[in-house]
Amino acid sequence: MLHKGLRTFIIFSIIFTIILAGCSSNSSNKESNAASSVNASDTAAPANTAAEEKTLTISWPKDIGPLNPHQYAPNEFFAQGMYYEPLIDYGEGGKLVPKLAESWDVSEDGKTYTFHLRKNVKFTDGSDFTAEVVKKNFDTILANRDMHSWLGVISQIENTEVVDANTFKITLKSQYYPALQEFAVVRPLRFLGAAGFPDDGNTANGIKSPITTGPWVLSEYKKDEEAVFTRNDNYWGTKPNIDKLIVKVIPDPEARVLALEKGDIDLIYGEGVISLDAFVNLRDSGKFETAVSDPLASRAIIVNTTKGPFADLNVRLALQHAVNKQALVDGVTNGVEKAADTIIAPNFPYANVGLKPYDYNLETAKSLLDQAGWKLPEGKSIREKNGQPLEIELVYMGDDEVEKPMATAIQSDLKQIGINVKLTGLERQLRNKRMEAADSDLLFWSTYGAPYDPHNFVSTNYEPGYGIFEAQQGLPMANELHQQMKDVLLTTDEAKRQELYTSIFTTLHDQAVYLPISYLTSIAVYPKYVTGLKFPAHRDETPFDTLDIQK
Amino acid sequence: MKISNFIWKRIWMTVPVLLGASFVSFSLLRLTPIDPAKAYLTVSNVRPTDEAVSAIRSQLGLDRPFFSQFATWLGDLLHFNFGTSFYSKLPVTEELYNRLPITAALAISSLILAVAVSIPLGLASALQKDRFIDHVCRVLAFLGSSAPQFGVAYLLIYFLSVKWDMFPLQGADSWRNYVLPAITLSFSLIATYSRLLRAGLLKGLNEPFVLYAKARGMRTFAILTRHVLRHAIRPVITAAGMNLGKLFAGSVIVEQIFGMQGMGGFFLESVFRRDYPVIQGYILIMAFIFVFGNFIADVIQTMLDPRSALEQGKVRGR
Repeated sequence: MLHKGLRTFIIFSIIFTIILAGCSSNSSNKESNAASSVNASDTAAPANTAAEEKTLTISWPKDIGPLNPHQYAPNEFFAQGMYYEPLIDYGEGGKLVPKLAESWDVSEDGKTYTFHLRKNVKFTDGSDFTAEVVKKNFDTILANRDMHSWLGVISQIENTEVVDANTFKITLKSQYYPALQEFAVVRPLRFLGAAGFPDDGNTANGIKSPITTGPWVLSEYKKDEEAVFTRNDNYWGTKPNIDKLIVKVIPDPEARVLALEKGDIDLIYGEGVISLDAFVNLRDSGKFETAVSDPLASRAIIVNTTKGPFADLNVRLALQHAVNKQALVDGVTNGVEKAADTIIAPNFPYANVGLKPYDYNLETAKSLLDQAGWKLPEGKSIREKNGQPLEIELVYMGDDEVEKPMATAIQSDLKQIGINVKLTGLERQLRNKRMEAADSDLLFWSTYGAPYDPHNFVSTNYEPGYGIFEAQQGLPMANELHQQMKDVLLTTDEAKRQELYTSIFTTLHDQAVYLPISYLTSIAVYPKYVTGLKFPAHRDETPFDTLDIQK
Repeated sequence: MKISNFIWKRIWMTVPVLLGASFVSFSLLRLTPIDPAKAYLTVSNVRPTDEAVSAIRSQLGLDRPFFSQFATWLGDLLHFNFGTSFYSKLPVTEELYNRLPITAALAISSLILAVAVSIPLGLASALQKDRFIDHVCRVLAFLGSSAPQFGVAYLLIYFLSVKWDMFPLQGADSWRNYVLPAITLSFSLIATYSRLLRAGLLKGLNEPFVLYAKARGMRTFAILTRHVLRHAIRPVITAAGMNLGKLFAGSVIVEQIFGMQGMGGFFLESVFRRDYPVIQGYILIMAFIFVFGNFIADVIQTMLDPRSALEQGKVRGR
């Protein structure tokens, strides 16, 4: 008996040692984590108690990334946008606003751009912002030209030149009107201080430290947990009202809402950062202020004109009349997105061309289908033509919480006019594959938005390979339309440019190549003590500079 | 020596398993129709121009032939180098090194909690069969196996964190961060384990040795804990061994909700990004953990009942 008892004892002690061994390695690690977080909260705590120091805490789904101004993921757009500055900023309605360039001249032939840089701008390490540094940044960007080839101006740059300490000149290969607008994008055309460059000068291999001219300085950083930005007191422009901005990584949308309710964070901001139901609940609770931005981009459906029923213009037009967009935005997005009548919202440059919206009218839709030869047989609910039923496929992103319910609603809308819709929900990459092959009748898509559109929109339309050019091949005037799209980017004459855009938007609208659904917006939810929220016109910029806390 | 032989054999068996897992994951990934270069650009919200795609492909070494890529990966693996993440450009070992401890702490604490709660629950419901406690345990088990993890998690957060502020909501800084996620994860395990244990105990009570023990005047509780439990706990240990791997691999939802930057959410994102080196490294580690979990369970089984190792020895014709 004793022998057996002893053995049981040994077995259980072994189990416990294994378990404890597993724990101890972790707990030591946890302790070190805890120690560093204590430091962070030690420094944060006086900020809250001392009335003069204002700290704003926000959440973001992901880590801010390495803050490299010239690279893409895992750098987060918002962080690069708030941290680094462009030569030119994108303002309300696409108006170009001086930023690090005080002014600029464009030569007669539209190929040479001379930037007069702002004087007395210093980087956070105390060095001067000069034409030399601008050139250094351009050199590393152009060394990785292929990576940035999506941005028209990069592939157009032939030569960069330091004229004097505060003048910088860029020569393009050919005329390209959106060049100035593209200097406002977040990446890669923003400026890192010389000391931040790696030894080989190529920022594609990483940066030494994030040295900026901007209003914020990264002061503490714990990857995947938290980043603390402190106001740059030597900032050349209007300094932020708050002293400290803490960005907490909260991956789960519902947890973000709970963190706001608990008071762990002071602001929820961005596109699709919380579910639209949660947004409405917070708005109706009366405890928080909520705001919705102007249109930033468009959500639309690409209609494939090359094959199937939508090769016929009348069927495309019927689609325009049959989908109840207002019900879609009200029902699915609780009115957070705005119903869209045109593919590019009228608040975008050159896009306010007075197109007549298609009204929601089932009778019109039905008669258009009749004209197209799709008749409703006696006793059936799906139309037929030559014995073939009217069936189409709608592809959407399976995990998208807006596209999915919208797709279902469109399915039932189209059922009412006798069209049977097959829904296909795909993971993002697989959906891209289908899009590139133009292998669907209808496909959910969204534009790049401000500051990229409308010029980036037209280049995605005329360049083969993304599936949009391919889906437009059924148009009788496809070649002419795509030629106009190429021409508009090269026109330097403002009136001619507007004329071309008007023609392009009119053709796309009349030919019903897109079914515009809604305009995407950013949302903000914050307690009443947060004031001064103003949405930037630029999709990837943030409103932190103007925010204030009044407790 | 019998047991150590058995252990050595099991350790050697992991080598072909790991090699097989790495080859299969390596080839399956390259059979998928999605180009990681394009995936990277899409994640970056950049239009995938031909120039950019081919620049990235050569940067990532994806333009090289399949076997050359596999040879490099295998060669690096021998030096414990899992390659560099396509996405973050950091070594995969570093990425996993930062995340594995969080997931490990979560998995092991959930497992301990589950076993620790299941034993008294199982004992109580076996002793009080078809009486009040048994019914309560049955309802608990029913809830545990049917309630979705995210539901349990949000309920716990809402009451214990937001309302009563007993535990932090996000992060993995201190042990207090692990309490709610561990409860969430162990909830469904407790349901399974306590029912397994109850069934085992009730079956054990019919064994002749229990009758003899009773004849010797031992009390039922003592018989249960000192004799029957040793046998009845074996299925629970097997299940726990299998669950260890599952907890490492499948705590995605809980990690996301509680903002713990562990392996689960990282892996899921890497799949969407088609980050081959991370996926390969992750699969290899998971294969190892599954094998290891089962191995530990088997070792404990053998110790609880050395006959199982002996039987294996006999079959080998020792």
